[in-house]
Amino acid sequence: MRAPHVLLFSTLSIGALAYVAGNPASPFAAARASAMQQPAAAQASAQVTPPREKDSVRFAIIGDTGTGTSSQYQVGERLTAARQMFPFEFVIMLGDNIYGSERPQDFVTKFEKPYKALLDAKVPFYAALGNHDDPTQRYYKPFNMNGERYYTFSKGSARFFVLDSNYMDQAQLKWLEDELLKANDRWKIAYFHHPLYSSGEKHGSEVDLRTQVEPLFIKYGVDVVFAGHEHFYERIKPQNGIYYFIEGGSAKLRKGDIRKGALTAAGFDTDFTFILAELGKDAMQFQALSRNGKPIDSGSLPLAEEPKKAAESKPPSR
Amino acid sequence: MVRALLILGLTVFSIGVAAQKPPVNVVAQQMVDFSKRIDAYMKVRDDATKGLPDVKETGDPAKISGREKALGQAIAKARATAKPGDVFGEEMSAHLKKVLADDWKSRSPADRKALFEELPKGVKLAINQSYPTTLPLVSVPAKLLARLPVLPEALEYRLIDRYFLLRDRDANLIVDVLSGVYPTRDR
Repeated sequence: MRAPHVLLFSTLSIGALAYVAGNPASPFAAARASAMQQPAAAQASAQVTPPREKDSVRFAIIGDTGTGTSSQYQVGERLTAARQMFPFEFVIMLGDNIYGSERPQDFVTKFEKPYKALLDAKVPFYAALGNHDDPTQRYYKPFNMNGERYYTFSKGSARFFVLDSNYMDQAQLKWLEDELLKANDRWKIAYFHHPLYSSGEKHGSEVDLRTQVEPLFIKYGVDVVFAGHEHFYERIKPQNGIYYFIEGGSAKLRKGDIRKGALTAAGFDTDFTFILAELGKDAMQFQALSRNGKPIDSGSLPLAEEPKKAAESKPPSR
Repeated sequence: MVRALLILGLTVFSIGVAAQKPPVNVVAQQMVDFSKRIDAYMKVRDDATKGLPDVKETGDPAKISGREKALGQAIAKARATAKPGDVFGEEMSAHLKKVLADDWKSRSPADRKALFEELPKGVKLAINQSYPTTLPLVSVPAKLLARLPVLPEALEYRLIDRYFLLRDRDANLIVDVLSGVYPTRDR
């Protein structure tokens, strides 16, 4: 079993900047210097740690976004500012992309406007369906779902498996197994709406879904799983050698909903959040930030060398 | 005497054998019938939606919602007289209710609570009506799905309030309804 080795930088901004500042040869020094010279909005990016590796896969993670409220717009602005320091290539959306009515104008106010700067910069978004999403969203080109409820795409050394956790039928499970079997990528990342593990009071772990998909994740060596649904940020202690994150607080917030327990490695439920991730040669760097740009969690998760074995599983507390 | 008893015994055995019906897998038969009704729906759907433009990825959500609406209207018109049970069928409805009841019983209190809280309440639904777009599409538990007959990609099962639905995915149309499938309270 992979050692649940996590390097935490909870006092990230000062420490991380000091680390990078001491490395003038960093390819990101210019971007960092530029960001540090801009006092107002760009100061948001000052608390963001730049990528560590030159050819890494960098992306942002947002979930439960489609409210059209000011909080969604604020996170959108923060995301744009963060990109100055951390030039992510694409964004993954963990479902509930459009809450409530799905009229054409809702796609504008609940997606296109909040992320306009990123869309204008040609940053692609890859969406998963949530329980508030009409499955016809899969035909909406800016979500890059290729007309499918579940799909896969690759970026550099990583392959992403995007699932429809609202409706995990046998056809989807078979597709998932076939695709995992074919994948020889260094990183295997799965994401979907409902969390297999959660310390949320309101919803909690999706045990039923877990019994169906987790054995495949273990068997075929999925490394990291992202989910939303719970309106907060949580990093779960590694389960069966797999890293689990919840990011369902990018526009909705359920304050005080986390019941920190055996599953919780870190949690944050007092403000809106998003995650930045970097898949490197041997580890994934991650940093979770609040709407105000405050770092709330970060660390380095080593890549497993061998596929996880089901026999190493420990029964979860829930 | 022995011969008479033997003849009597053979006669009783023969009558018994003749009275026996060939074994029938009732559930399998129900599945076959259900599958035929699904095929019939798909034929009506295909016929009704001929001439509508194929769905393609587009950056214009108006085109997506316009097609969904047109699809729903065309199917509803072609099935204007449809009533509850037309697709599920009487025997399959009973079977599905049992599967749903067994599924509910098999869940832990925490699972029941979570599912119950997710289900929108106070909803009135009817066949040929659009699924209310402001309500969430509650996830159908994966283990339950594994016990239900497989559907074509165009169709899906859904749970809402105390209803179990057959929903046309791209038309957002309620195709058939089973009511009273889950408890009214989290029990």
